[in-house]
Amino acid sequence: MMKTFSIGGIHPSDKKISKDCKIEVLPVPSKVFISVAQHLGAPATPVVKAGDQVKVGQVIAEPAGFISAYVHSSVSGTVKSVGPRKDIAGNNVVHIEIDVEGDEWVEGVDLSDTLVTEIPQDNKAILDKIKMCGVVGLGGATFPAHVKLCPPPGKKADCLILNGAECEPYLTSDYRIMLERSKEIVIGAAIMKQVLGGCPAVIGIEENKPEAIKAMKAALAELQAAAKGYEGISVMSLKKKYPQGGEKQLIDAVMKRQVKSMGLPIDVGAVVQNVATSLAVYEAVQKNKPLITNTLTVTGDCLPLEKQHNYLFRIGMPLSYIAEYAGGVPEEAAKIISGGPMMGKAIANLDATTVKGSSSLLYLTAEQTVRGVESACIRCGKCAEACPMGLEPFLLQKYARNSMMDELEENAIQDCIECGCCLYSCPANIPLLDIIRIAKGDVIKIIRGRAIKN
Amino acid sequence: MTQTIIWTIAILTLLGALLAVVLYVVAEKFKVEEDPRIDDVEKELPGANCGGCGQAGCRAFAQFCVESEDLDKCFCPVGGNDVMQKVASVLGREVAAKEPMVAVVRCNGTCENRPKTNEYGGYQSCRVKAALYSGDTGCSFGCLGCGDCVSVCQFGAITMDPATGLPVVDEEKCTACGACVKTCPKGVIELRNKGRRNMRVYVSCVNKDKGAVARKACKAACIGCSKCAKVCPFEAITVENNVAYIDYTKCKLCKKCVAECPTAAIHAVNFPVVKPKPEAAPCHPERSEGSVKPEVEKKEE
Repeated sequence: MMKTFSIGGIHPSDKKISKDCKIEVLPVPSKVFISVAQHLGAPATPVVKAGDQVKVGQVIAEPAGFISAYVHSSVSGTVKSVGPRKDIAGNNVVHIEIDVEGDEWVEGVDLSDTLVTEIPQDNKAILDKIKMCGVVGLGGATFPAHVKLCPPPGKKADCLILNGAECEPYLTSDYRIMLERSKEIVIGAAIMKQVLGGCPAVIGIEENKPEAIKAMKAALAELQAAAKGYEGISVMSLKKKYPQGGEKQLIDAVMKRQVKSMGLPIDVGAVVQNVATSLAVYEAVQKNKPLITNTLTVTGDCLPLEKQHNYLFRIGMPLSYIAEYAGGVPEEAAKIISGGPMMGKAIANLDATTVKGSSSLLYLTAEQTVRGVESACIRCGKCAEACPMGLEPFLLQKYARNSMMDELEENAIQDCIECGCCLYSCPANIPLLDIIRIAKGDVIKIIRGRAIKN
Repeated sequence: MTQTIIWTIAILTLLGALLAVVLYVVAEKFKVEEDPRIDDVEKELPGANCGGCGQAGCRAFAQFCVESEDLDKCFCPVGGNDVMQKVASVLGREVAAKEPMVAVVRCNGTCENRPKTNEYGGYQSCRVKAALYSGDTGCSFGCLGCGDCVSVCQFGAITMDPATGLPVVDEEKCTACGACVKTCPKGVIELRNKGRRNMRVYVSCVNKDKGAVARKACKAACIGCSKCAKVCPFEAITVENNVAYIDYTKCKLCKKCVAECPTAAIHAVNFPVVKPKPEAAPCHPERSEGSVKPEVEKKEE
C-alpha cells in the first residue's frame, strides 16, 4: 500500500507536457533587475548604489531581520539604478538594475562540474554558508533555509523530508533536476541531515514520476557505496494526490504525524525542504555558489512540444525576455501563470523579473481559465471532502461573508493552506478560496494581536 | 369538581405570589446600577448603530459620552453637530461645533483615463482583488472598482457609476461615518470637510509612482510636478512621494491650483456654474451679482 496523506485531496490531471525537455541554460540578457524581496520575511536592504561595479555572486542586498535573506548579483556589470519597479503582481518593489558586462564571477566559486561528495564536518560553517549564499526554500514559500535548519532549543528533528512530489500539474522543473542533478540533490540532503543531527532523510516522490524515483535511487546507491555520510537516506514513492507537496501533507504521508493547528513542522520533529532547495544547499556548501539560478518550466497546452522548455535561469531576468527567447507568447494564451495552475499566481506584468522561487511560465487558454457562474451552495460537501486540512470550506465562506470572526476561528480557518482543492471541487462555482483567504488573514491578525496582548 | 378548581386556583395564586417575592428579592440583590443619563443620551442619538463614532453602537456611544470628561472627544458623525448639541444639553455640558465632513473618492481612473492592461476574472471584491495583485490597470494605487465601499455603506450614499467605473458619493446621504474609508484596501477614499457652501478642492489621485509611470498608467494622474504647490498662495498643498495633497484646513478655495494642474488631477466641486448652459432660462439679474459668478465668466472668455 503506497503512502499518502490521510484526509482530503483531489486528483487534477497530471499533465507534464514538458517532462522530456532537457534543462537548457538561458543566455544572460543585456540587463537584469534583481528584486530585494525574493524570500518570505523582510525585504533585504540594498548595499550597492548606482555606478557600482558588481561581479556574479557578489552580495548586493543584506538581510533586514531574522527572517530575511542575502541577495546576490546574478550578472557582472554596472549597477544602473536602485529603485521601485513593478513585480509580477504589479506592486512596487525595490529592484537593483544592472547593466551586464561580461561574466566575471567573484573569487572562490567552484564553477567546475566535478562532484564534491565529501561532506564538511563543521555544522556551524555549513549553516553559515547556507545563510551567506542566500538559500531559501524553493518549494514555493521561499522561507529562508538556514532558519528551518536550526530547530529552536528543546526541539529535535526526527526526520528530514525532501519534497520531490511536484504535485502541481504542468510543472516539471523539480522532475528535471531529479533526473539531471540527482547526485547533487542527494549530497544536499546528506548535508542538511548532518546539520540536523543525523536524523534519517526521506526523499518523497509521487508514483507518476517513475524515472525520477529510479534516478534518485540509483544516485543514492552509488553515493552510499562510494562515500561516508549517506546512510539513513531513502527514497519513498508516494501515491499521486494533490496537494502531496504541502508541508503538512507530506509529513502526514511520510511520518504519519499531524502538525497541530498553528503549529510548525518541527513540533512533530519534521523538517521539509524541496529537492531544488537541496540542490541549492549543495551548490552553496560544496561549490560556494550563491543562489542565483533556478529551474523554470515554460509550458502550456497551447504550446507545441518544440516550444516547451525547462530553463536554468538567473535571477533578475525579465519574464518577457524568457517568453521571447522561448518563442514568444502563444496567441491562444489568455492567462500566464507563475507557478502551477492550482496555487500559482497570475502574472499581471510580464516585464517583471524572475526571482529565486520562480518555477514556471504557464500559458493557459481562455477555456482553461474562465470561471463558471456562481450559484447557490447545494450542501454537497465536496469541498469538505477535498480539503486536505479537514476544514469545511462551505461553512467558512458563509461565516467569512458575514464577518463572524469567532466562528471562523473555532472552525480553524487559520489552518487553511490555500491549496485550492475546495474551489476546484465546487460544482456551484463558489469562489471559496478567494473568500476564505481574506478571512484567514483577518483571523490570523486577531490571533497574533491577542498573543501580543497576553 | 368545584373543589379541584378551588384548589388549583389557590395553589397557583400562592405559587405566583411566592415566585413574585423571589423575583423581587433577586432583582433587588443583583440590580445593575446604571447612570440614567445614558438612556437620556441614547434617546437623542440617531440609532443607526453604524459604529462611525468608534464605539460598538449607539448605546455604547451614549455610555462613552456620559463617562468621558471631554465631550469634544465624542462625535456622532451621523447626527452631526445638531445631535451633539442636544447630547451636551442633556448632560449639561458644552461641546464645540465640528466642521461637517464628507467622503471623497480620490481617483480619476475612469475607463477612459486609465486603460485596462489585464482582465480580472476572480471574485468581485476589492479586498480579494487587492490581495491578489495591483489591479487590472497600470495604476497600482487607484480604485479597483469592485464596490466594497458601496456594500459597506449603511446609508446608501455610495453608488458605482457604470460609465466611469468609479464610486460616486451622494453628499446629501453621506454621514461621514468612515466605513468606506476603512474598507477601501487602496485608501482611495478620504473624509474631507464639506467646505464653504459645499465647495471643495482636492487632488483626485493617490498614485505614488514617478510622474512618467503614473502618467502612462492614467491620463489624469497626479504626476507630482509641484506646480500646484508653487502656485498656492496659502501653502495648503504639499507634494510627498510624487503625489500632491491639499490640506483642507488651509485651502481657501481660490482654485489657482485647478487651473495650473497639467493633468487635471485637481478637482473643484460644487462651484457655481461649472458648465455654460446656453439654452437655460436667462439668469435673474440679482442672482448673477454673486461674488463668484464674474470670475467664472472671465474664465469662459
